[in-house]
Amino acid sequence: MDHDFLFDVWHLFVRALKKTIRTPIVIISALALPVLFLVLFTQIFTQFGNLPGFPAGGYVQFAVAGVIVMNPLMDSGGAGEAVVDDINSGFLSKVLVTPANRTAIVLGRLLHDMVMVLLPVSITLALAYALGATVITGAPGILLILFTAAFFGLAMSGLAMAIGVRTKSSQAVAGLDLVIAFPLMFVSTALVPYGFLPHWAQAFSNVNPFSYVVNAVRVLMSTGFVWSTILAAYAVIAVFAAVTIGATLYQFRSVER
Amino acid sequence: MVKAVETRDLVKRYEDVEAIKGITLEIEEGGIFGFLGPNGAGKSTTIKVLTTLLRKTSGSVTIEGYDIDKDAREIRKVIGVQSQETILDGDLTGRENLTLQGHLQRLHGNALKKRVDELLTLVELSDVADKRAAHYSGGMKKRLDLASTLVHKPRVLFLDEPTSGLDPQSRVAIWEHLETLNRDEGVTIFLTTQQMEEADRLCHRLSIIDHGEIVVSGSPVELKHQLGGDTITLSLANGDSDGAKDRSKRIVSGVQGVTKVLDIETGLAAYAKNASALVPDIVRLFDENGIRLTSISVASASLDDVFLQHTGRRIRSEELSKVDTWKRHV
Ligand SMILES: Nc1ncnc2c1ncn2[C@@H]1O[C@H](COP(=O)(O)OP(=O)(O)O)[C@@H](O)[C@H]1O
Ligand SMILES: [Mg+2]
Repeated sequence: MDHDFLFDVWHLFVRALKKTIRTPIVIISALALPVLFLVLFTQIFTQFGNLPGFPAGGYVQFAVAGVIVMNPLMDSGGAGEAVVDDINSGFLSKVLVTPANRTAIVLGRLLHDMVMVLLPVSITLALAYALGATVITGAPGILLILFTAAFFGLAMSGLAMAIGVRTKSSQAVAGLDLVIAFPLMFVSTALVPYGFLPHWAQAFSNVNPFSYVVNAVRVLMSTGFVWSTILAAYAVIAVFAAVTIGATLYQFRSVER
Repeated sequence: MVKAVETRDLVKRYEDVEAIKGITLEIEEGGIFGFLGPNGAGKSTTIKVLTTLLRKTSGSVTIEGYDIDKDAREIRKVIGVQSQETILDGDLTGRENLTLQGHLQRLHGNALKKRVDELLTLVELSDVADKRAAHYSGGMKKRLDLASTLVHKPRVLFLDEPTSGLDPQSRVAIWEHLETLNRDEGVTIFLTTQQMEEADRLCHRLSIIDHGEIVVSGSPVELKHQLGGDTITLSLANGDSDGAKDRSKRIVSGVQGVTKVLDIETGLAAYAKNASALVPDIVRLFDENGIRLTSISVASASLDDVFLQHTGRRIRSEELSKVDTWKRHV
Protein backbone atom coordinates (compact mmCIF):
# COMPACT_ATOMS: atom_id res chain seq x y z
CA MET A 1 0.00 0.00 0.00
CA ASP A 2 1.51 3.28 -0.86
CA HIS A 3 2.52 5.83 1.66
CA ASP A 4 0.39 8.68 0.30
CA PHE A 5 -2.69 6.51 0.57
CA LEU A 6 -2.16 5.76 4.25
CA PHE A 7 -1.29 9.42 4.86
CA ASP A 8 -4.63 10.49 3.35
CA VAL A 9 -6.59 7.90 5.32
CA TRP A 10 -4.90 8.97 8.53
CA HIS A 11 -5.52 12.70 8.15
CA LEU A 12 -9.13 12.29 7.10
CA PHE A 13 -9.61 9.89 10.01
CA VAL A 14 -8.20 12.49 12.40
CA ARG A 15 -10.48 15.14 10.95
CA ALA A 16 -13.57 12.93 11.45
CA LEU A 17 -12.46 12.12 14.99
CA LYS A 18 -12.00 15.79 15.87
CA LYS A 19 -15.45 16.62 14.58
CA THR A 20 -17.02 13.87 16.66
CA ILE A 21 -15.14 14.76 19.82
CA ARG A 22 -16.23 18.37 19.44
CA THR A 23 -19.87 17.30 19.25
CA PRO A 24 -19.89 14.94 22.24
CA ILE A 25 -23.66 14.36 22.17
CA VAL A 26 -23.00 11.87 19.35
CA ILE A 27 -20.79 9.80 21.62
CA ILE A 28 -23.17 9.97 24.54
CA SER A 29 -26.13 8.65 22.58
CA ALA A 30 -23.97 5.92 21.06
CA LEU A 31 -23.04 4.83 24.58
CA ALA A 32 -26.57 4.99 25.95
CA LEU A 33 -28.05 2.75 23.29
CA PRO A 34 -26.36 -0.57 24.13
CA VAL A 35 -26.98 -0.04 27.83
CA LEU A 36 -30.64 0.49 27.09
CA PHE A 37 -30.83 -2.49 24.74
CA LEU A 38 -28.99 -4.87 27.00
CA VAL A 39 -31.02 -4.00 30.09
CA LEU A 40 -34.36 -3.97 28.25
CA PHE A 41 -33.88 -7.13 26.23
CA THR A 42 -32.48 -9.15 29.06
CA GLN A 43 -35.26 -8.00 31.38
CA ILE A 44 -38.09 -8.60 28.93
CA PHE A 45 -36.90 -11.85 27.39
CA THR A 46 -35.17 -13.39 30.38
CA GLN A 47 -37.73 -16.22 30.73
CA PHE A 48 -36.77 -17.43 27.23
CA GLY A 49 -33.58 -18.76 28.74
CA ASN A 50 -35.60 -21.35 30.63
CA LEU A 51 -37.37 -22.75 27.57
CA PRO A 52 -36.47 -26.30 26.59
CA GLY A 53 -33.94 -26.32 23.75
CA PHE A 54 -32.50 -22.90 24.68
CA PRO A 55 -28.69 -22.87 24.64
CA ALA A 56 -27.10 -23.34 28.04
CA GLY A 57 -25.91 -20.28 29.94
CA GLY A 58 -29.13 -18.30 30.14
CA TYR A 59 -30.56 -15.42 28.17
CA VAL A 60 -27.96 -12.76 29.02
CA GLN A 61 -25.08 -14.96 27.89
CA PHE A 62 -27.02 -15.60 24.70
CA ALA A 63 -28.19 -12.08 23.88
CA VAL A 64 -24.95 -10.18 24.52
CA ALA A 65 -23.64 -11.18 21.10
CA GLY A 66 -26.76 -9.72 19.49
CA VAL A 67 -26.48 -6.44 21.36
CA ILE A 68 -22.76 -6.16 20.59
CA VAL A 69 -23.38 -6.47 16.88
CA MET A 70 -26.28 -4.00 17.05
CA ASN A 71 -23.79 -1.24 17.84
CA PRO A 72 -22.12 -1.03 14.44
CA LEU A 73 -25.55 -1.25 12.87
CA MET A 74 -27.18 1.48 14.95
CA ASP A 75 -24.17 3.81 14.79
CA SER A 76 -23.63 3.52 11.05
CA GLY A 77 -25.96 6.40 10.15
CA GLY A 78 -23.34 8.91 11.26
CA ALA A 79 -21.12 8.09 8.30
CA GLY A 80 -23.99 8.69 5.90
CA GLU A 81 -24.98 11.95 7.54
CA ALA A 82 -21.37 13.13 7.59
CA VAL A 83 -20.93 12.55 3.88
CA VAL A 84 -24.23 14.30 3.14
CA ASP A 85 -23.00 17.29 5.18
CA ASP A 86 -19.73 17.27 3.30
CA ILE A 87 -21.51 17.18 -0.03
CA ASN A 88 -23.95 19.95 0.83
CA SER A 89 -21.35 22.21 2.41
CA GLY A 90 -19.06 21.63 -0.58
CA PHE A 91 -16.33 20.21 1.63
CA LEU A 92 -16.23 16.97 -0.31
CA SER A 93 -15.70 18.92 -3.54
CA LYS A 94 -12.90 20.77 -1.86
CA VAL A 95 -11.26 17.46 -1.00
CA LEU A 96 -11.94 16.08 -4.47
CA VAL A 97 -9.94 18.88 -6.14
CA THR A 98 -6.87 17.89 -4.15
CA PRO A 99 -4.74 14.89 -5.17
CA ALA A 100 -6.17 12.96 -2.17
CA ASN A 101 -6.85 9.33 -2.98
CA ARG A 102 -10.59 8.72 -3.52
CA THR A 103 -10.64 5.42 -1.68
CA ALA A 104 -8.79 7.05 1.21
CA ILE A 105 -11.52 9.68 1.48
CA VAL A 106 -14.06 6.93 2.15
CA LEU A 107 -11.79 4.83 4.34
CA GLY A 108 -10.78 7.81 6.48
CA ARG A 109 -14.35 8.19 7.64
CA LEU A 110 -14.97 4.45 7.91
CA LEU A 111 -11.87 3.99 10.04
CA HIS A 112 -13.37 6.59 12.37
CA ASP A 113 -16.54 4.52 12.64
CA MET A 114 -14.56 1.34 13.25
CA VAL A 115 -12.68 2.96 16.11
CA MET A 116 -15.66 4.78 17.60
CA VAL A 117 -17.82 1.67 17.69
CA LEU A 118 -15.32 0.08 20.06
CA LEU A 119 -16.57 2.39 22.81
CA PRO A 120 -20.18 1.15 22.96
CA VAL A 121 -19.04 -2.43 22.27
CA SER A 122 -16.68 -2.27 25.25
CA ILE A 123 -19.44 -0.84 27.40
CA THR A 124 -21.71 -3.66 26.31
CA LEU A 125 -19.11 -6.27 27.22
CA ALA A 126 -18.45 -4.67 30.59
CA LEU A 127 -22.11 -4.42 31.43
CA ALA A 128 -22.70 -8.00 30.27
CA TYR A 129 -19.91 -9.12 32.57
CA ALA A 130 -21.61 -7.30 35.43
CA LEU A 131 -24.84 -9.11 34.55
CA GLY A 132 -23.06 -12.45 34.77
CA ALA A 133 -22.03 -13.18 31.18
CA THR A 134 -18.57 -14.54 30.42
CA VAL A 135 -16.27 -14.80 27.42
CA ILE A 136 -15.07 -18.37 27.24
CA THR A 137 -12.19 -17.57 24.88
CA GLY A 138 -10.64 -15.08 27.32
CA ALA A 139 -8.63 -12.02 26.38
CA PRO A 140 -7.74 -13.13 22.82
CA GLY A 141 -11.43 -13.82 22.26
CA ILE A 142 -12.37 -10.37 23.53
CA LEU A 143 -9.92 -8.78 21.11
CA LEU A 144 -11.38 -10.82 18.28
CA ILE A 145 -14.90 -9.77 19.30
CA LEU A 146 -13.85 -6.12 19.19
CA PHE A 147 -12.28 -6.64 15.80
CA THR A 148 -15.36 -8.42 14.46
CA ALA A 149 -17.67 -5.61 15.56
CA ALA A 150 -15.37 -2.97 14.06
CA PHE A 151 -15.06 -4.90 10.81
CA PHE A 152 -18.85 -5.15 10.59
CA GLY A 153 -18.92 -1.38 11.25
CA LEU A 154 -16.83 -0.90 8.13
CA ALA A 155 -19.48 -2.61 6.04
CA MET A 156 -22.52 -1.01 7.70
CA SER A 157 -21.10 2.52 7.74
CA GLY A 158 -20.08 1.92 4.16
CA LEU A 159 -23.72 1.17 3.38
CA ALA A 160 -24.88 4.38 5.07
CA MET A 161 -22.24 6.32 3.16
CA ALA A 162 -23.35 4.84 -0.15
CA ILE A 163 -26.94 5.84 0.64
CA GLY A 164 -25.75 9.31 1.64
CA VAL A 165 -23.79 9.90 -1.55
CA ARG A 166 -26.66 8.52 -3.60
CA THR A 167 -29.50 10.49 -1.98
CA LYS A 168 -27.60 13.55 -0.69
CA SER A 169 -30.19 13.68 2.11
CA SER A 170 -29.74 13.13 5.84
CA GLN A 171 -33.38 12.18 6.23
CA ALA A 172 -32.99 9.51 3.59
CA VAL A 173 -29.97 8.13 5.40
CA ALA A 174 -31.74 8.09 8.77
CA GLY A 175 -34.93 6.65 7.31
CA LEU A 176 -33.37 3.97 5.13
CA ASP A 177 -30.97 3.06 7.89
CA LEU A 178 -33.87 2.17 10.17
CA VAL A 179 -35.77 0.36 7.46
CA ILE A 180 -32.69 -1.72 6.75
CA ALA A 181 -31.54 -2.10 10.35
CA PHE A 182 -34.74 -3.43 11.86
CA PRO A 183 -35.28 -6.53 9.71
CA LEU A 184 -31.56 -7.26 9.85
CA MET A 185 -31.60 -7.05 13.65
CA PHE A 186 -34.84 -8.80 14.45
CA VAL A 187 -35.11 -11.40 11.70
CA SER A 188 -31.82 -12.88 12.75
CA THR A 189 -30.25 -14.96 15.46
CA ALA A 190 -29.49 -11.84 17.50
CA LEU A 191 -32.18 -12.24 20.16
CA VAL A 192 -33.67 -15.67 19.43
CA PRO A 193 -31.91 -18.97 18.71
CA TYR A 194 -32.11 -20.18 15.12
CA GLY A 195 -34.30 -23.16 16.05
CA PHE A 196 -36.91 -20.85 17.61
CA LEU A 197 -37.36 -18.78 14.44
CA PRO A 198 -40.33 -19.48 12.14
CA HIS A 199 -39.39 -21.00 8.78
CA TRP A 200 -39.55 -17.83 6.73
CA ALA A 201 -37.37 -16.09 9.29
CA GLN A 202 -34.87 -18.94 9.20
CA ALA A 203 -34.69 -18.58 5.44
CA PHE A 204 -34.04 -14.85 5.78
CA SER A 205 -31.55 -15.39 8.57
CA ASN A 206 -29.58 -17.74 6.30
CA VAL A 207 -28.80 -14.84 3.99
CA ASN A 208 -28.74 -12.13 6.66
CA PRO A 209 -25.18 -10.85 7.15
CA PHE A 210 -26.17 -9.74 10.63
CA SER A 211 -26.79 -13.36 11.69
CA TYR A 212 -23.36 -14.43 10.45
CA VAL A 213 -21.67 -11.75 12.51
CA VAL A 214 -23.78 -12.46 15.61
CA ASN A 215 -23.00 -16.16 15.31
CA ALA A 216 -19.27 -15.44 15.15
CA VAL A 217 -19.37 -13.25 18.26
CA ARG A 218 -21.58 -15.79 20.01
CA VAL A 219 -19.21 -18.72 19.48
CA LEU A 220 -16.39 -16.55 20.78
CA MET A 221 -18.48 -15.79 23.88
CA SER A 222 -19.84 -19.25 24.59
CA THR A 223 -18.23 -22.02 22.54
CA GLY A 224 -14.63 -21.33 21.54
CA PHE A 225 -12.61 -20.47 18.46
CA VAL A 226 -14.92 -22.10 15.91
CA TRP A 227 -13.05 -20.87 12.87
CA SER A 228 -15.59 -22.03 10.31
CA THR A 229 -18.22 -19.76 11.90
CA ILE A 230 -15.79 -16.88 12.42
CA LEU A 231 -14.33 -16.95 8.92
CA ALA A 232 -17.77 -17.29 7.36
CA ALA A 233 -18.67 -14.02 9.08
CA TYR A 234 -15.52 -12.33 7.79
CA ALA A 235 -16.19 -13.49 4.26
CA VAL A 236 -19.72 -12.09 4.41
CA ILE A 237 -18.50 -8.78 5.87
CA ALA A 238 -15.73 -8.48 3.29
CA VAL A 239 -18.14 -8.90 0.39
CA PHE A 240 -20.63 -6.51 1.94
CA ALA A 241 -17.94 -3.89 2.60
CA ALA A 242 -16.49 -4.19 -0.89
CA VAL A 243 -19.91 -3.63 -2.45
CA THR A 244 -20.88 -0.64 -0.29
CA ILE A 245 -17.49 1.06 -0.54
CA GLY A 246 -17.39 0.38 -4.26
CA ALA A 247 -20.84 1.90 -4.67
CA THR A 248 -19.79 5.00 -2.73
CA LEU A 249 -16.67 5.48 -4.83
CA TYR A 250 -18.57 4.95 -8.03
CA GLN A 251 -20.93 7.75 -7.07
CA PHE A 252 -18.21 10.22 -6.20
CA ARG A 253 -18.17 11.10 -9.89
CA SER A 254 -21.62 12.64 -9.54
CA VAL A 255 -21.03 14.56 -6.33
CA GLU A 256 -21.39 17.87 -8.14
CA ARG A 257 -25.05 18.56 -8.60
CA MET B 1 5.85 27.81 -23.68
CA VAL B 2 3.24 25.86 -21.80
CA LYS B 3 -0.11 27.55 -21.38
CA ALA B 4 -1.67 27.78 -17.93
CA VAL B 5 -5.07 26.88 -19.35
CA GLU B 6 -5.97 25.77 -22.83
CA THR B 7 -9.41 24.66 -23.95
CA ARG B 8 -10.78 23.82 -27.35
CA ASP B 9 -14.51 23.70 -28.15
CA LEU B 10 -15.31 22.90 -24.55
CA VAL B 11 -18.94 21.87 -24.07
CA LYS B 12 -20.76 20.97 -20.87
CA ARG B 13 -24.34 19.81 -21.00
CA TYR B 14 -26.46 19.11 -17.94
CA GLU B 15 -29.49 16.91 -18.57
CA ASP B 16 -31.55 19.66 -20.13
CA VAL B 17 -29.29 22.71 -20.35
CA GLU B 18 -26.18 23.29 -22.40
CA ALA B 19 -24.33 25.39 -19.85
CA ILE B 20 -21.19 25.95 -21.93
CA LYS B 21 -21.36 25.82 -25.66
CA GLY B 22 -17.94 25.48 -27.19
CA ILE B 23 -15.44 27.58 -25.29
CA THR B 24 -11.95 27.98 -26.71
CA LEU B 25 -9.43 29.67 -24.46
CA GLU B 26 -5.70 30.17 -24.17
CA ILE B 27 -4.37 31.62 -20.96
CA GLU B 28 -0.70 32.48 -20.63
CA GLU B 29 1.15 31.75 -17.42
CA GLY B 30 1.66 34.59 -15.00
CA GLY B 31 -1.34 36.77 -15.67
CA ILE B 32 -4.69 37.45 -14.12
CA PHE B 33 -7.44 36.30 -16.42
CA GLY B 34 -11.12 37.03 -15.85
CA PHE B 35 -14.45 35.62 -16.91
CA LEU B 36 -16.96 38.43 -16.71
CA GLY B 37 -20.60 37.56 -17.13
CA PRO B 38 -24.04 37.69 -15.54
CA ASN B 39 -25.70 35.03 -13.41
CA GLY B 40 -26.19 31.78 -15.28
CA ALA B 41 -23.63 32.62 -17.96
CA GLY B 42 -21.72 29.40 -17.31
CA LYS B 43 -18.84 30.72 -15.20
CA SER B 44 -19.07 28.23 -12.34
CA THR B 45 -19.64 25.36 -14.73
CA THR B 46 -16.47 26.27 -16.61
CA ILE B 47 -14.45 26.44 -13.39
CA LYS B 48 -15.79 23.08 -12.21
CA VAL B 49 -14.89 21.45 -15.50
CA LEU B 50 -11.41 22.98 -15.57
CA THR B 51 -10.71 21.92 -12.00
CA THR B 52 -11.68 18.25 -12.59
CA LEU B 53 -14.85 18.44 -10.50
CA LEU B 54 -17.28 18.02 -13.39
CA ARG B 55 -16.85 15.89 -16.48
CA LYS B 56 -16.96 17.78 -19.72
CA THR B 57 -19.35 16.68 -22.43
CA SER B 58 -16.88 17.28 -25.26
CA GLY B 59 -13.86 19.30 -26.27
CA SER B 60 -10.39 19.31 -24.78
CA VAL B 61 -8.75 20.86 -21.72
CA THR B 62 -5.14 21.08 -20.69
CA ILE B 63 -3.94 22.77 -17.51
CA GLU B 64 -0.21 23.53 -17.27
CA GLY B 65 0.23 21.12 -20.15
CA TYR B 66 -1.59 18.23 -18.46
CA ASP B 67 -4.52 16.71 -20.32
CA ILE B 68 -7.57 16.59 -18.09
CA ASP B 69 -8.65 13.17 -19.39
CA LYS B 70 -5.32 11.53 -18.68
CA ASP B 71 -3.67 13.50 -15.92
CA ALA B 72 -6.40 14.79 -13.62
CA ARG B 73 -4.28 13.78 -10.64
CA GLU B 74 -1.31 15.87 -11.81
CA ILE B 75 -3.62 18.81 -12.43
CA ARG B 76 -4.91 18.63 -8.87
CA LYS B 77 -1.37 19.04 -7.59
CA VAL B 78 -0.75 22.31 -9.40
CA ILE B 79 -4.09 24.08 -9.02
CA GLY B 80 -5.82 25.84 -6.17
CA VAL B 81 -9.58 26.19 -6.29
CA GLN B 82 -11.93 28.50 -4.45
CA SER B 83 -15.54 27.81 -5.28
CA GLN B 84 -18.32 30.34 -5.29
CA GLU B 85 -19.63 29.24 -1.90
CA THR B 86 -17.17 29.62 0.95
CA ILE B 87 -16.17 26.12 1.98
CA LEU B 88 -14.60 25.40 5.35
CA ASP B 89 -14.95 22.86 8.10
CA GLY B 90 -16.58 24.93 10.81
CA ASP B 91 -15.75 22.35 13.48
CA LEU B 92 -12.04 22.80 12.83
CA THR B 93 -10.01 25.87 13.71
CA GLY B 94 -8.57 28.13 11.04
CA ARG B 95 -5.17 26.58 11.53
CA GLU B 96 -6.57 23.05 11.34
CA ASN B 97 -8.40 23.85 8.12
CA LEU B 98 -5.20 25.00 6.48
CA THR B 99 -3.18 22.12 7.88
CA LEU B 100 -5.66 19.53 6.63
CA GLN B 101 -5.58 21.10 3.20
CA GLY B 102 -1.79 20.91 3.31
CA HIS B 103 -1.90 17.24 4.32
CA LEU B 104 -4.18 16.43 1.42
CA GLN B 105 -1.58 18.07 -0.80
CA ARG B 106 0.97 15.73 0.83
CA LEU B 107 2.82 18.39 2.81
CA HIS B 108 3.89 17.70 6.36
CA GLY B 109 6.17 18.48 9.26
CA ASN B 110 7.81 21.80 9.89
CA ALA B 111 7.57 22.96 6.30
CA LEU B 112 3.79 22.70 6.50
CA LYS B 113 3.66 24.34 9.91
CA LYS B 114 5.70 27.24 8.58
CA ARG B 115 3.58 27.58 5.47
CA VAL B 116 0.38 27.63 7.52
CA ASP B 117 1.74 30.35 9.80
CA GLU B 118 2.84 32.34 6.78
CA LEU B 119 -0.63 32.13 5.24
CA LEU B 120 -2.38 33.01 8.48
CA THR B 121 -0.27 36.13 8.60
CA LEU B 122 -0.90 36.90 4.94
CA VAL B 123 -4.68 36.80 5.34
CA GLU B 124 -4.49 38.47 8.76
CA LEU B 125 -6.02 35.65 10.75
CA SER B 126 -3.12 34.84 13.09
CA ASP B 127 -5.03 36.19 16.09
CA VAL B 128 -7.98 33.87 15.60
CA ALA B 129 -6.08 30.93 14.12
CA ASP B 130 -7.04 28.62 16.98
CA LYS B 131 -10.72 29.49 17.08
CA ARG B 132 -13.24 27.35 15.25
CA ALA B 133 -13.91 28.59 11.75
CA ALA B 134 -17.67 28.43 12.36
CA HIS B 135 -17.30 31.53 14.55
CA TYR B 136 -15.53 33.64 11.90
CA SER B 137 -17.21 36.55 10.14
CA GLY B 138 -18.04 36.33 6.43
CA GLY B 139 -14.94 38.23 5.38
CA MET B 140 -12.70 36.14 7.63
CA LYS B 141 -14.15 32.92 6.24
CA LYS B 142 -13.56 34.07 2.70
CA ARG B 143 -9.96 34.93 3.54
CA LEU B 144 -9.39 31.59 5.23
CA ASP B 145 -10.92 29.84 2.24
CA LEU B 146 -8.55 31.72 -0.04
CA ALA B 147 -5.59 30.83 2.16
CA SER B 148 -6.61 27.16 2.11
CA THR B 149 -6.28 27.13 -1.67
CA LEU B 150 -2.72 28.43 -1.42
CA VAL B 151 -1.09 26.02 1.02
CA HIS B 152 0.69 23.99 -1.67
CA LYS B 153 1.75 27.05 -3.70
CA PRO B 154 -0.40 26.26 -6.71
CA ARG B 155 0.74 27.46 -10.10
CA VAL B 156 -2.78 28.24 -11.26
CA LEU B 157 -5.45 29.58 -8.96
CA PHE B 158 -9.13 29.28 -9.91
CA LEU B 159 -11.41 31.67 -8.06
CA ASP B 160 -15.16 31.62 -8.61
CA GLU B 161 -16.52 35.05 -7.68
CA PRO B 162 -13.93 35.56 -4.94
CA THR B 163 -15.50 38.70 -3.52
CA SER B 164 -19.22 38.24 -4.06
CA GLY B 165 -21.22 39.12 -0.99
CA LEU B 166 -18.34 40.90 0.74
CA ASP B 167 -18.40 44.41 2.12
CA PRO B 168 -16.28 46.94 0.16
CA GLN B 169 -13.45 46.87 2.67
CA SER B 170 -13.04 43.09 2.65
CA ARG B 171 -13.31 43.15 -1.11
CA VAL B 172 -10.40 45.53 -1.45
CA ALA B 173 -8.39 43.40 0.99
CA ILE B 174 -8.91 40.32 -1.19
CA TRP B 175 -7.98 42.27 -4.31
CA GLU B 176 -4.74 43.31 -2.70
CA HIS B 177 -3.94 39.73 -1.68
CA LEU B 178 -4.56 38.53 -5.22
CA GLU B 179 -2.40 41.23 -6.74
CA THR B 180 0.42 40.43 -4.34
CA LEU B 181 0.19 36.71 -5.09
CA ASN B 182 0.27 37.32 -8.80
CA ARG B 183 3.05 39.85 -8.71
CA ASP B 184 5.35 38.37 -6.06
CA GLU B 185 4.79 34.64 -6.51
CA GLY B 186 3.90 34.55 -10.19
CA VAL B 187 0.68 32.62 -9.60
CA THR B 188 -1.58 32.56 -12.65
CA ILE B 189 -5.09 33.54 -11.61
CA PHE B 190 -8.31 32.60 -13.38
CA LEU B 191 -11.22 34.35 -11.75
CA THR B 192 -14.88 34.81 -12.51
CA THR B 193 -16.89 37.86 -11.61
CA GLN B 194 -20.08 39.77 -12.20
CA GLN B 195 -18.49 43.04 -11.14
CA MET B 196 -17.01 45.44 -13.67
CA GLU B 197 -14.80 47.17 -11.09
CA GLU B 198 -13.28 43.88 -10.13
CA ALA B 199 -12.60 42.82 -13.70
CA ASP B 200 -11.32 46.27 -14.54
CA ARG B 201 -8.98 46.51 -11.61
CA LEU B 202 -7.56 42.99 -11.49
CA CYS B 203 -7.62 41.40 -14.92
CA HIS B 204 -4.85 41.70 -17.44
CA ARG B 205 -7.06 39.93 -19.92
CA LEU B 206 -10.67 38.94 -19.78
CA SER B 207 -13.42 37.27 -21.71
CA ILE B 208 -16.99 38.34 -21.52
CA ILE B 209 -19.23 35.30 -21.30
CA ASP B 210 -22.96 35.13 -21.86
CA HIS B 211 -25.28 32.14 -22.31
CA GLY B 212 -22.33 29.76 -22.26
CA GLU B 213 -20.37 31.47 -25.00
CA ILE B 214 -17.47 33.87 -25.10
CA VAL B 215 -18.72 37.10 -26.55
CA VAL B 216 -15.47 39.02 -26.74
CA SER B 217 -11.96 38.87 -25.26
CA GLY B 218 -9.18 41.35 -24.66
CA SER B 219 -7.60 43.52 -22.02
CA PRO B 220 -10.03 45.83 -20.21
CA VAL B 221 -8.41 48.83 -21.87
CA GLU B 222 -8.63 47.30 -25.34
CA LEU B 223 -12.23 46.34 -24.89
CA LYS B 224 -13.27 49.78 -23.74
CA HIS B 225 -11.20 51.32 -26.46
CA GLN B 226 -13.06 49.42 -29.15
CA LEU B 227 -16.15 51.36 -28.16
CA GLY B 228 -14.39 54.54 -29.15
CA GLY B 229 -14.02 56.37 -25.88
CA ASP B 230 -16.72 57.82 -23.66
CA THR B 231 -20.38 57.00 -23.26
CA ILE B 232 -23.10 59.57 -23.77
CA THR B 233 -26.33 58.42 -22.19
CA LEU B 234 -29.53 60.10 -23.40
CA SER B 235 -32.95 59.69 -21.79
CA LEU B 236 -35.96 60.53 -23.90
CA ALA B 237 -38.81 62.37 -22.18
CA ASN B 238 -41.54 60.61 -24.13
CA GLY B 239 -39.93 57.25 -24.52
CA ASP B 240 -40.37 55.71 -27.94
CA SER B 241 -43.62 57.52 -28.89
CA ASP B 242 -43.87 58.55 -32.57
CA GLY B 243 -40.72 56.61 -33.38
CA ALA B 244 -38.75 59.10 -31.32
CA LYS B 245 -36.08 56.53 -30.63
CA ASP B 246 -35.41 55.82 -34.28
CA ARG B 247 -35.29 59.49 -35.15
CA SER B 248 -33.00 60.19 -32.22
CA LYS B 249 -30.74 57.36 -33.27
CA ARG B 250 -30.43 58.86 -36.74
CA ILE B 251 -29.65 62.26 -35.30
CA VAL B 252 -26.99 61.02 -32.89
CA SER B 253 -25.37 58.72 -35.47
CA GLY B 254 -24.98 61.75 -37.74
CA VAL B 255 -22.99 63.72 -35.21
CA GLN B 256 -19.33 63.95 -36.15
CA GLY B 257 -17.22 61.77 -33.82
CA VAL B 258 -19.92 59.34 -32.69
CA THR B 259 -18.74 55.78 -33.35
CA LYS B 260 -21.69 53.74 -32.19
CA VAL B 261 -25.25 54.18 -30.93
CA LEU B 262 -27.08 51.53 -28.92
CA ASP B 263 -30.65 51.19 -27.63
CA ILE B 264 -31.04 51.09 -23.90
CA GLU B 265 -34.23 50.94 -21.88
CA THR B 266 -34.58 54.61 -21.16
CA GLY B 267 -33.16 55.92 -24.40
CA LEU B 268 -29.84 55.68 -26.15
CA ALA B 269 -26.17 55.15 -25.39
CA ALA B 270 -23.68 56.71 -27.80
CA TYR B 271 -19.93 56.27 -27.90
CA ALA B 272 -17.46 58.95 -28.93
CA LYS B 273 -14.01 60.22 -28.23
CA ASN B 274 -14.07 63.54 -26.48
CA ALA B 275 -17.78 63.16 -25.81
CA SER B 276 -18.26 66.21 -23.60
CA ALA B 277 -17.46 68.49 -26.52
CA LEU B 278 -20.33 66.95 -28.51
CA VAL B 279 -23.02 67.52 -25.89
CA PRO B 280 -23.96 71.08 -26.92
CA ASP B 281 -24.31 69.98 -30.55
CA ILE B 282 -26.50 67.04 -29.63
CA VAL B 283 -28.73 69.14 -27.39
CA ARG B 284 -29.15 71.71 -30.17
CA LEU B 285 -30.04 69.03 -32.74
CA PHE B 286 -32.67 67.53 -30.45
CA ASP B 287 -34.16 70.99 -29.90
CA GLU B 288 -34.35 71.62 -33.61
CA ASN B 289 -36.11 68.28 -34.17
CA GLY B 290 -38.51 68.80 -31.29
CA ILE B 291 -37.51 65.71 -29.32
CA ARG B 292 -37.46 66.32 -25.59
CA LEU B 293 -34.63 64.96 -23.44
CA THR B 294 -34.91 64.40 -19.71
CA SER B 295 -31.20 64.00 -19.27
CA ILE B 296 -27.91 63.69 -21.04
CA SER B 297 -24.78 62.51 -19.28
CA VAL B 298 -21.21 61.66 -20.15
CA ALA B 299 -19.02 59.01 -18.55
CA SER B 300 -15.95 57.11 -19.61
CA ALA B 301 -16.90 53.78 -21.17
CA SER B 302 -17.03 50.86 -18.72
CA LEU B 303 -16.92 47.12 -19.20
CA ASP B 304 -20.65 47.23 -18.73
CA ASP B 305 -20.83 49.24 -21.93
CA VAL B 306 -18.75 46.59 -23.63
CA PHE B 307 -21.18 43.96 -22.42
CA LEU B 308 -24.10 46.07 -23.59
CA GLN B 309 -22.60 46.49 -27.01
CA HIS B 310 -22.17 42.76 -27.49
CA THR B 311 -25.30 41.42 -25.86
CA GLY B 312 -27.79 44.27 -25.93
CA ARG B 313 -28.20 43.96 -22.16
CA ARG B 314 -26.54 45.42 -19.14
CA ILE B 315 -24.69 42.98 -16.91
CA ARG B 316 -25.50 45.03 -13.88
CA SER B 317 -29.25 44.92 -13.84
CA GLU B 318 -29.45 42.19 -11.23
CA GLU B 319 -33.17 41.91 -11.56
CA LEU B 320 -33.04 41.49 -15.29
CA SER B 321 -30.48 38.74 -15.12
CA LYS B 322 -32.49 36.97 -12.44
CA VAL B 323 -35.61 37.01 -14.55
CA ASP B 324 -33.50 35.85 -17.41
CA THR B 325 -32.06 32.80 -15.69
CA TRP B 326 -35.44 32.02 -14.26
CA LYS B 327 -36.97 32.04 -17.72
CA ARG B 328 -34.39 29.63 -18.96
CA HIS B 329 -35.11 27.31 -16.07
CA VAL B 330 -38.79 27.09 -16.87
N1 LIG C 1 -26.23 20.93 -11.84
C1 LIG C 1 -26.91 21.59 -12.78
N2 LIG C 1 -27.91 20.98 -13.43
C2 LIG C 1 -28.58 21.62 -14.41
N3 LIG C 1 -28.34 22.87 -14.80
C3 LIG C 1 -27.35 23.54 -14.19
C4 LIG C 1 -26.59 22.95 -13.15
N4 LIG C 1 -25.67 23.85 -12.72
C5 LIG C 1 -25.85 24.95 -13.47
N5 LIG C 1 -26.86 24.78 -14.35
C6 LIG C 1 -27.33 25.74 -15.36
O1 LIG C 1 -26.25 26.00 -16.21
C7 LIG C 1 -26.19 27.39 -16.54
C8 LIG C 1 -24.86 27.98 -16.11
O2 LIG C 1 -24.78 27.98 -14.70
P1 LIG C 1 -23.49 28.46 -13.91
O3 LIG C 1 -22.29 27.81 -14.51
O4 LIG C 1 -23.73 28.23 -12.48
O5 LIG C 1 -23.47 30.01 -14.24
P2 LIG C 1 -22.74 31.22 -13.48
O6 LIG C 1 -21.72 30.65 -12.56
O7 LIG C 1 -22.14 32.02 -14.58
O8 LIG C 1 -23.79 31.97 -12.75
C9 LIG C 1 -27.39 28.04 -15.86
O9 LIG C 1 -28.42 28.09 -16.79
C10 LIG C 1 -27.71 27.09 -14.76
O10 LIG C 1 -29.05 27.14 -14.44
MG1 LIG D 1 -21.52 30.93 -10.55
